[in-house]
Amino acid sequence: MFLHQLDLTTALRPSLLPEETLLFVQDAVGLYEGRFKIPQFQNGHAYLTSHRACYVDNEEPRKCSVAINLKDVERPEYYAGFLKSSPKVTFHPKPSKRLSFSTRSPSTAAGRTISSSSSSTPPERHGSPLRSLASSPAPSTAASATWICPICSFSNPVPSNFDPATANVHTPLPPCLACGIKPPLVHVVKAAISSITNRQSHVVAPIPQRAHQDKTDLSSASGSRNPLGPSASSAAFPCPRCTFQNHPSLLTCEICGASLVSIEDKRLASAKGIARSESPGPALSRLSMQDEAVESVKFSFRGGGEKVFFERLKNALVQRKWLLQSAPPVPKPNRLSGAFDDGYNSSSDQNPRDPERQKVVGIAGLERRGLERRKNNELVIGTAFEDLEALMTSAKEIIALAESFASQANLGTNGSSEASSILSQSASALGLVTTKDMLGSGSDLLYVSELSRNLAEWLTDDTRGILKREGGIMTLVDLWAVFNRARGGVELVSPTDFEKAARLWDKLKLPVRLRMFKSGLLVVQGRDRTDEKTVAALLSWLRELHHQPPASEVTWDWRLYGRGVTAQEVAERFGWSVGVASEELEMAEERGALCREQGLDGLRFWENWLVHTPEEGILTI
Amino acid sequence: MTSFASSNTTLAPSVAPSTSSSTTPSPTDPTAFAYPALYNYPPFFTLQPILPTRHSQLLSWSLLIQAYTRHHALFSLSLIDALSTPLFHNRPLHRRLSLRDARAVIDYMCSKDGDMRAEWITTPSTASNVLKKSNPSGGDEEGGGRFWVFWRKPDEWANLIESWVDSTGQKGVVLTLYELAEGDATRGQEFHGMEAELLSRCLGVSVKRGRAQVFGAEGGEGVKFF
Repeated sequence: MFLHQLDLTTALRPSLLPEETLLFVQDAVGLYEGRFKIPQFQNGHAYLTSHRACYVDNEEPRKCSVAINLKDVERPEYYAGFLKSSPKVTFHPKPSKRLSFSTRSPSTAAGRTISSSSSSTPPERHGSPLRSLASSPAPSTAASATWICPICSFSNPVPSNFDPATANVHTPLPPCLACGIKPPLVHVVKAAISSITNRQSHVVAPIPQRAHQDKTDLSSASGSRNPLGPSASSAAFPCPRCTFQNHPSLLTCEICGASLVSIEDKRLASAKGIARSESPGPALSRLSMQDEAVESVKFSFRGGGEKVFFERLKNALVQRKWLLQSAPPVPKPNRLSGAFDDGYNSSSDQNPRDPERQKVVGIAGLERRGLERRKNNELVIGTAFEDLEALMTSAKEIIALAESFASQANLGTNGSSEASSILSQSASALGLVTTKDMLGSGSDLLYVSELSRNLAEWLTDDTRGILKREGGIMTLVDLWAVFNRARGGVELVSPTDFEKAARLWDKLKLPVRLRMFKSGLLVVQGRDRTDEKTVAALLSWLRELHHQPPASEVTWDWRLYGRGVTAQEVAERFGWSVGVASEELEMAEERGALCREQGLDGLRFWENWLVHTPEEGILTI
Repeated sequence: MTSFASSNTTLAPSVAPSTSSSTTPSPTDPTAFAYPALYNYPPFFTLQPILPTRHSQLLSWSLLIQAYTRHHALFSLSLIDALSTPLFHNRPLHRRLSLRDARAVIDYMCSKDGDMRAEWITTPSTASNVLKKSNPSGGDEEGGGRFWVFWRKPDEWANLIESWVDSTGQKGVVLTLYELAEGDATRGQEFHGMEAELLSRCLGVSVKRGRAQVFGAEGGEGVKFF
């Protein structure tokens, strides 16, 4: 099962797993299985998260939405598009699935038999078990990666046990072999990542233990599959200008200085103009979700955005965030003092220190522990914000830290204000929102619709209960303020965008709606909260008042008429803001359910007996 | 209390003084006016902004005013003075209708929607003697003009008078207007005590129908039914 059923949020976006973050969104995307279009999956949004690649259909999002777990993806493949065919990104499933498939096929032997059998299969079924085996997921320990010392520019090997996905500040790093200066973590992480990226984009990394025969097969196969990829028989990187074979960790050509990073991008740019909604390709009759033998799945980008999608997909595959769930926790304080030491002997001098630390007990011990923790926090924060890349690698620690700070701050200030409680969730909210740079093809409409979904999701999120706390209704201005505060001061939403997004709720059939009161006040409320329900709630409350004697002496028969209520009382009773309460009262008045009394003590609203019993008690003429 | 008493006398000088005792309607008193239930409903004294509700409220007010004036045998009211009467001022409830709202109620009664149950008295010339007597201060034409309350419309009054004349066998007999309004013979009739201006107007309806003839000079007109 390569394609998974996808859980959607109330706003019809993929519901993210814990620690999963959204990386990219693109609309006008179609889905292919192998070479065939999958019907009903031809117009939707592609969501790339750190864990999955999701397709959500525009027409029937609940029915036609699938996700591919990136951990099942062996490798992605990029196709820039040609004449009438749109750019595509292909996902090839991992070999474990493929092996189970190959047991059904008659040829299970290794070597040439398989390659011949693969050639006999239809050309679109290009994934043969052999190839899958060949490029089995390369461990992210970048064996052949090197980092360039920023001091003496000597090329050092990245340590074999270095994993960029799990590395943090406390990972021991060897110093430069030439000058003996310890490199910054970020530097090494970058080097490791770029080396892995290069290997993956070149499809076939040299795998030393494989037979020569296999290797030639593979490289030829990969060459036919991916004509745009450089002929990648080694990890070297040819300069597009002078064809010098550069080291993969270099960003610019060593000879002519041309940038090596954009080499692929420039070629793809020419194909970018091709965009169209219909594809001439053949279509499958149905989608078989349970089919084990899913050959490959293609995302076809008819509205552009494929390039960024592919870039981020590659990064996500390299970072392998799904492994982070078992990543090391915030490091122990006792490692702290050794963090700046040489990585190799820091572990050795930890051991004698441990028993010493155990000895300190009582208040001194507590104080010492607190001191160490503070120092550790300081270090973690200090290094994390040095570089965005570093922030990414230690994001988990930082978020944990931020949350603990927030809860501590709340304890200090009694934690009663709801704004601060929302603020304290801002760290986790960072992962939730769609920002402009996550969206492809720069279309404003996509941004607004994504924002609209975001908002709806955020509003209906039961753990936050924004709407519930406001009595199921709040003004758009209040919402805008709270939402921007929750974004933690980054990627703020402009009022115009915000209003546009709110107006899209109806069109996108989201579970919240924007409502305009007579006075022009815009409020947000759940779709299920209709005016009839509000009126019924108001009336039932007013009827209750027939049975409760009023607080003060009244001059009328309260058993018959109950009493009038002010907007303040209604606001208190239903948890609305006063503005909303008076608007709701006027709405009910307009519907004839209530009537008003302008007295010395302000405006009060009563059950409307003027209409319901106009003849009662009046003498007939 | 003093203002109320004075207003009552000025309002309806011809009405029997017994009505002045009914400042607070008590259910035990059989002569007291029985107010409708809405009279004790506080929002009744605030004019509603929502049209359907407002319409219903105005209708209730119209019916109340008609019933009130019929009970007290009043044919016209002065708005300013009437505001402090129990009609517009519910003392036990501490609620009263404001001048503006009361004017809106009367305007409604004057309109077709209100079934033309009232009419502003614009020219005080014919009824000058009545007005002078009731409102010596004057200057009330703008602020709180007088208005007729037609708990019976002029043509209904004409029918009533005609049938009374018919039933008492006075066809062809010349009757003075004073006789009709104040005479002992009409005591107990609903049109007893009717102001001269309204009476001549009602008789005018009969004249138009060709059932009666009015003759005589100003102040001493006579009428003959046939």
